[in-house]
Amino acid sequence: MLANIATKTVRDRWKGFAIGSAVIAVILWWGMIIYQDIDLSIYTSMPDVFLSMMNIPPDADVGSLAYGAVYASYGALTLAGLALSVGSSSVAGEERHGTLGLLLGNPKSRTAVLASKAAALVGLTALGALIMWIGALIVPPATGVSVEGMHPNALMLHIFAIALFFGSLAMAISAWTGKQTLATGVTVGAMIVSFIAAGLFPIIEGWEDLRKAVPWYYYDGSQPVFNGVDWGHLAVLGGGIALFWLVAYVGVNHRDLRERDVGTTILDRLRTNPLTRKVIDRLAGSARVSAIWIKTLSDHQALIVVTAYVMGLLAVMMGPLYGLMDEAVLQFAADLPETLVAMVGGADMSTAAGFYQAEIYSLMAPVAVMAVTIVVAAKGIAGEESARTMGLLLGNPVPRRRIILEKTVTMIVGATIVGGVTFVGTAIGNAIGNLDVSLGNIAAISVLVTALGIVFGALAMAISAATGRTKLVTYSTAGTAFVSYMVFAFLPLSEGLAGWAKASPFYYFLGSDPLNNGMPWGHLAALVAMFVALTVLAVMLYDRRDLRQSG
Amino acid sequence: MNHENAIHTEGLTKHYGDFPALVDLDLDVRLGEVFGFLGPNGAGKTTTIRTILDEIRPTAGKASILGMDSHEMSVEIRRRIGYVPGDLAMYPNLTGRDTLTYFANLRGGVDWSYVDQLAERLDADLSKKVGDLSSGNRQKVGLIQAFMNRPDVLIMDEPSSGLDPLMQREFQTMMREVAAEGRGVFLSSHTLSEVQRVADRVGIIRQGRLIALESVHELRSKAIRQVRFEFGAPVDPATFEAVDGVRGVTVENNHVLLSFDGRMDALLKAATSHNDILDITSEEADLEEIFLTYYRDEEVSA
Repeated sequence: MLANIATKTVRDRWKGFAIGSAVIAVILWWGMIIYQDIDLSIYTSMPDVFLSMMNIPPDADVGSLAYGAVYASYGALTLAGLALSVGSSSVAGEERHGTLGLLLGNPKSRTAVLASKAAALVGLTALGALIMWIGALIVPPATGVSVEGMHPNALMLHIFAIALFFGSLAMAISAWTGKQTLATGVTVGAMIVSFIAAGLFPIIEGWEDLRKAVPWYYYDGSQPVFNGVDWGHLAVLGGGIALFWLVAYVGVNHRDLRERDVGTTILDRLRTNPLTRKVIDRLAGSARVSAIWIKTLSDHQALIVVTAYVMGLLAVMMGPLYGLMDEAVLQFAADLPETLVAMVGGADMSTAAGFYQAEIYSLMAPVAVMAVTIVVAAKGIAGEESARTMGLLLGNPVPRRRIILEKTVTMIVGATIVGGVTFVGTAIGNAIGNLDVSLGNIAAISVLVTALGIVFGALAMAISAATGRTKLVTYSTAGTAFVSYMVFAFLPLSEGLAGWAKASPFYYFLGSDPLNNGMPWGHLAALVAMFVALTVLAVMLYDRRDLRQSG
Repeated sequence: MNHENAIHTEGLTKHYGDFPALVDLDLDVRLGEVFGFLGPNGAGKTTTIRTILDEIRPTAGKASILGMDSHEMSVEIRRRIGYVPGDLAMYPNLTGRDTLTYFANLRGGVDWSYVDQLAERLDADLSKKVGDLSSGNRQKVGLIQAFMNRPDVLIMDEPSSGLDPLMQREFQTMMREVAAEGRGVFLSSHTLSEVQRVADRVGIIRQGRLIALESVHELRSKAIRQVRFEFGAPVDPATFEAVDGVRGVTVENNHVLLSFDGRMDALLKAATSHNDILDITSEEADLEEIFLTYYRDEEVSA
């Protein structure tokens, strides 16, 4: 029985791990081909601290660069992301679906269910790590790249540990609270903050030791790909994992199990308070359901508010942080050759604009906006079908295309809120730090990142309209976005392939360096055209299809 | 009062891959009647409803509601119908009133005094979040949203699931009222008794095929009952086997169990020819048994 719960979870989830890890392995293969084209002499005189920020060992060669750029950051983030999604759904997911009661109707204790879920988490994470490890062993000989002196085995062990660490953290929160969304949100936040902090702290004078406070340091602080396994660091992560499991064990046994999850929002709380009831009743009640797009916006209020808040806060923080950066790093960054700069999204870190682009706009802001647009699109069509509410909604006299268009309005509003708050945050950070970045250019890049997010949201909407499968929408759109980023960031490193970068939507976002050069109207028009084409496609596909009744 | 049909289908067929979920359905539902659409689980009732509502597209054939093509004029159709999907799901984070407001907005407004009246009749609590309601109370919200715009045709897929008997009766009265006003009701159900109580005509569907279409009156004459007698002393099964409409007599000590679809007085006469009857129970046979008894031939010939 215990094995059955674990194997069922593995069966439900293994595809995501297999595909995610295989994609990383393919990108490693691709990265190694591209890196062979690069003149590597540029690395010889870089300061250690800068290299560590970019996960590049001091005596870099092609092999370690590819491992560093592809595996150590993207690979680890991907596997940890997959692990935390399993962890957060482990207990809370079953509660949300109302299946935990059924499961516990069998002669199994809560502890046994938890243990099965933990076993599945370990197994799945190991599976992902195994696939990446095979890639790490096969790709170098296949591409003729020497990886002598590298420790792929050690790197994979460290990646496995950090992924399991965040997966277990998510499981602990999930087991303690029974709230899947909370577990996912908190763990993703912790992971991102930890990832950024581990990269930022070492380059800020006087803050170097602070990095030891973040988990990511115990993953790659010792540069395992170069130095081999650091058992001390792994022990720290192991201790964390053991602690999380203990928390999960105590948590799942001490509390009342939840029934189907009905979230309570701030509006709901205010609604029951006699003082605020009258106003809020309009807001939370009749106003909230006055149109499809408004109701959809209200459904995603937490996601949008939290994402916007985090982006705004980060953007404000970056201003004063720039002033704290080590002079030597800045001077050095100014001298970096262009090809290398391309790897961090084309940002010249020595200028305030470049710093903002690298830290906020090249990766964080697109991810934040897309998190909103992709989720709104996936839940908007496929989500209502799997929740079986679409039949009821379409029982009303509204054409299918109106559903698509109204959900698209929600998506645009959500993206605009996140993009707008990022703009305001950056403008404030810019003012606090006296950084002299043009306000018009900040506005331009904020508009572009919003448009980029909307393009991928429209892609998600089209897939959602065509298939009605929530998971497929999320994974395929996120995958496409990831590959698009790679195409934009890495193809230009190789002369022959540079032209292909224009195939990526990211090219029309960052390709013209808008933070320095202002709004590229042609590129904005290209993004808008992509959005319109995808939206028309979504409407056409949805009109044709049989509605699904379940996920 | 209106000569167009509430629902009309011609050769309506839906295949899921190779599986024929619905085969050649020809059906007319009139205005002013309650039409019971009866069939065991998985017979194709939901597929029929989803096809005529343009949720899914027929493999062959066509359907119309109120004379309008179900695909071409789907939006106009939905303006004039009320719909309760099977296995009803709603937005758990909205209250009942929020849910109704949402759908009312999509319809351009409803008569709220009528909504309140419906809520009162069904004893529905509209102030609670739908996700916090029991399934029966959730079902009430679904029923109100279907009735609230006084639709010309009501299409309901197993609408009384979860309702307690008292509410089921009230709901049946509401359906009769709709029919009395000259509007149409299409009621899918797997319980014979419900359909018998409320419907004028009944279509019986099995394995995707319509195998019978008759008035409730005719159907009732076919209603098989399971009758159980308990006697004070052992009895001879032959006493019962002689009665018209009796089949499958089993005798176990002092108990007699039989299936019966004839005149009850004849059976009772036979039973009372024995003295010492201690107990009689009579219950409706399930639908499957009726199918096996009456419609086996239709299925084979179809």
